[in-house]
Amino acid sequence: MRYVLGRIGQALIVLLVAFTAAFVLLQAMPGDAIMIKFENPELGLSQEQIAALRESYGADTPLLTQYVHTLFGFLGGDFGYSIQNGTPVKQLLGAVLPNTLLLAVLGFIAAVVLAVLVALLASLPAFAKVAEFIRALPSLFIAVPVFWLAIVLIQVFSFQLRLVPVINPGPIEGLILPVLTLAVPISAPLAQILIRSIDEVRAQPFIAVVRAKGASPWWILSRNVAKNAMLPTLTMAGVLFGELIAGAVVTETVFGRSGIGRITEQAVTNQDTPVLQAVVIVSAFAFVAINLVVDLLYPVLDPRLARTQGRRA
Amino acid sequence: MSRSRSTRALIAVAVSSALLLAGCSAGQTGGGGATEPQTGGTLNYLEHQPHTSLYPPSGGFYPNGGIVNNITDRLVYQNPETLEFEPWIATDWESNDDATEYTFNLRSDVTFSDGTPLDADVVAKNFDLYGLGDPDRALPVSEAINNYERSEVVDADTVKFFFTAPAPGFLQATSTINSGLVSDATLDLSFEGFGPGNSQNIIGSGPFTISGEEIGTRVDLAAREDYAWAPPSWENQGRPYLDGITITVTPEDSVRVGALVSGQADIVRNVEAQDEAQVEVPGYSILAAQTKGVNNGLSLRIGNEKLSDIRVRQAITAGIDRQAVIDTIYSANYPLATSVLSSSAPGYVNTEEYFAYDQAKAKSLLDEAGWVPGADGIRAKDGQKLTLVVNEAAPQPRSFEALTLISQQLAEIGVDLQILKADAGTYAEAILDADQVQIYHSMVGRTDLDVIKSQFYSSNRNVLLNKNNKTGEIVDPKLEELLLAVASTPAPDARIAASQAVQTYLAEQAYQIPLFEEPQVYGQADYVHGFQTESIARPIFSQVWLDR
Repeated sequence: MRYVLGRIGQALIVLLVAFTAAFVLLQAMPGDAIMIKFENPELGLSQEQIAALRESYGADTPLLTQYVHTLFGFLGGDFGYSIQNGTPVKQLLGAVLPNTLLLAVLGFIAAVVLAVLVALLASLPAFAKVAEFIRALPSLFIAVPVFWLAIVLIQVFSFQLRLVPVINPGPIEGLILPVLTLAVPISAPLAQILIRSIDEVRAQPFIAVVRAKGASPWWILSRNVAKNAMLPTLTMAGVLFGELIAGAVVTETVFGRSGIGRITEQAVTNQDTPVLQAVVIVSAFAFVAINLVVDLLYPVLDPRLARTQGRRA
Repeated sequence: MSRSRSTRALIAVAVSSALLLAGCSAGQTGGGGATEPQTGGTLNYLEHQPHTSLYPPSGGFYPNGGIVNNITDRLVYQNPETLEFEPWIATDWESNDDATEYTFNLRSDVTFSDGTPLDADVVAKNFDLYGLGDPDRALPVSEAINNYERSEVVDADTVKFFFTAPAPGFLQATSTINSGLVSDATLDLSFEGFGPGNSQNIIGSGPFTISGEEIGTRVDLAAREDYAWAPPSWENQGRPYLDGITITVTPEDSVRVGALVSGQADIVRNVEAQDEAQVEVPGYSILAAQTKGVNNGLSLRIGNEKLSDIRVRQAITAGIDRQAVIDTIYSANYPLATSVLSSSAPGYVNTEEYFAYDQAKAKSLLDEAGWVPGADGIRAKDGQKLTLVVNEAAPQPRSFEALTLISQQLAEIGVDLQILKADAGTYAEAILDADQVQIYHSMVGRTDLDVIKSQFYSSNRNVLLNKNNKTGEIVDPKLEELLLAVASTPAPDARIAASQAVQTYLAEQAYQIPLFEEPQVYGQADYVHGFQTESIARPIFSQVWLDR
């Protein structure tokens, strides 16, 4: 129990540090969103009019006041307003978060399936002849730019074969190509780790014992090897979350899907500080939560870890 | 930024291979051959950016204006072809001789989509907000309205406006998107209330209403069944032929064009010059509508020391082969500019002679001005190199490509042109300083003589930085006088003469190098009929009908 509480405490500290770092970095950038929006020559506003607008936004209050104000706002669930659009950030995120979550979760599941498939094919004796080729696949997957992959998938499956529309697709139709796009680059490191772990575990003495007992290669792979190869893969999966967000930015833009990625891309362009601050916190929260779950899962998967923690507690 | 640039090349490869197949499948979409407008159907329209605000004075941003144009009516209608003014919500109007007072008589049968009447009270409230702004709600003044003082409601269908100085451009201003009439409740919204997510709260009296929204990706428009107050020259006087429009944001250029020619979209905006050929296939066509304002061009910032010498400015002008830029980067839909103003803009005068390409002349002018070529080919004077910075104008079509070519051309005469690509904050700061950005790439569309003042006047866009933002000093007071005359001369002929004086002066002084007359390029399927644009190329959907 103390272990769990300790980990949660750490997680909260990480969130506060992320919040503060984001605040400082966003403030340190030259210019600000109000300047970008209202000093745009296209609006033709005079310097006096801009000064009045800055004042109405409270943009010139001391940084510390702004920091405290923003922090308490966040604690109270108030993320402020997007400066570019005027929309409450909470509403903005609320509208798009489910879309990105769905895309990310499905993309991740598809990536795991793809990775396991590649790893199995690379490790099964039946495919020994093409094993070298299959082992090279993850490197290829990493090398393919997400952007290019998305465009090719759209061109082929939507525009040429006309299998799925990209413009106003149904809820399921609209997920097929984006999920595939997202899954390919995520699956690559997973597959690599899985393949290496399988190799390592297979080289261990206990496998020889199992084999001597007459187990089939498939049995060994599925029961003994795979189980032991899970742990490093799981660690990697936690880290891959960042990759997932980055992939979502590109995927959502190319497919015109609404989501955190799209909002982030636009907020970066306009230096929309309140939106970026909220995105950082939401992402940090998700990252921390996933890693917390992974950490808490370790003892479940490997009883030896549970014992060491038991002694500590 | 660099990502999108390099990936562009990759897409080109992907797309061109896919195109070979597209060519075979095109042509199967085609009209059913109806000649009478058909009622019904939903139009799929693709935008490339999401809208940011539906506050009408923010309508200059195309995605905003495209929506505002279809959900609001204006006091008067400017015929996009003749540029003449026609009645719309106002049945007639008059102004005093010095254009400081305007009176509008209004129709009495018009309602907003929330059922409230469009009367003199609400019209007065609209213009009080647009003419004066409200900093407390972060709502800026409309760029189209100059010298606004106050309104006066004479009776239920008569409203009067007063100005502190002559405002001859006001009548045209009442016809622009920036003056879209919205309901009383809408006028009470704050800046936040006009933002995405609240679009259904924006109530106009136009042929369409906003029926749905998905933030950042989609806006749905629905026909207003009881619409009956179209401008007289519209063929369709009643409800829109379409039942609705789905505006979908599709940022990727190749996806927009591909969606159109694969039958997933009916009209797409912003077909890039290099993609036009993909749309020019059987069953599809390009509509390139002119924006009729200040042309896409380069403003030479006269407050900068290097550019304060007219010979340097003339040399840069002569050193740019504008025709080559158009032939290489753009298409036939981007006509070579012959003045600071578009040839279809009111008051246009041809000043082509000042922009002739003449490399030899450019070199001798620089020699004369004391700029001597160095070992690296770049000219220098008093130990200072002739290096200039130009901004990449992200909203303008293919700005970076055009500037890259121009910088190669200028390198031949010994001028080193750097292109500013920076994050939004750095950019916003740099373009306000003549010592950071010496050449400013931009354009502006509006079909009133005031447009030239909007672009160059010190308290408007101030693109030449004639007013130094740090010291407040005016570099060329004569230009200021000439521009003021355009915006405040009441007599129409004298106003045209004033605009022509500005165009000639800008050309003579080599302050501005116009590049091309900027269009809005739409792609549409042949079964779409009646698609047209207003005077600066925003879409009008109420005449559109589908035959598929």
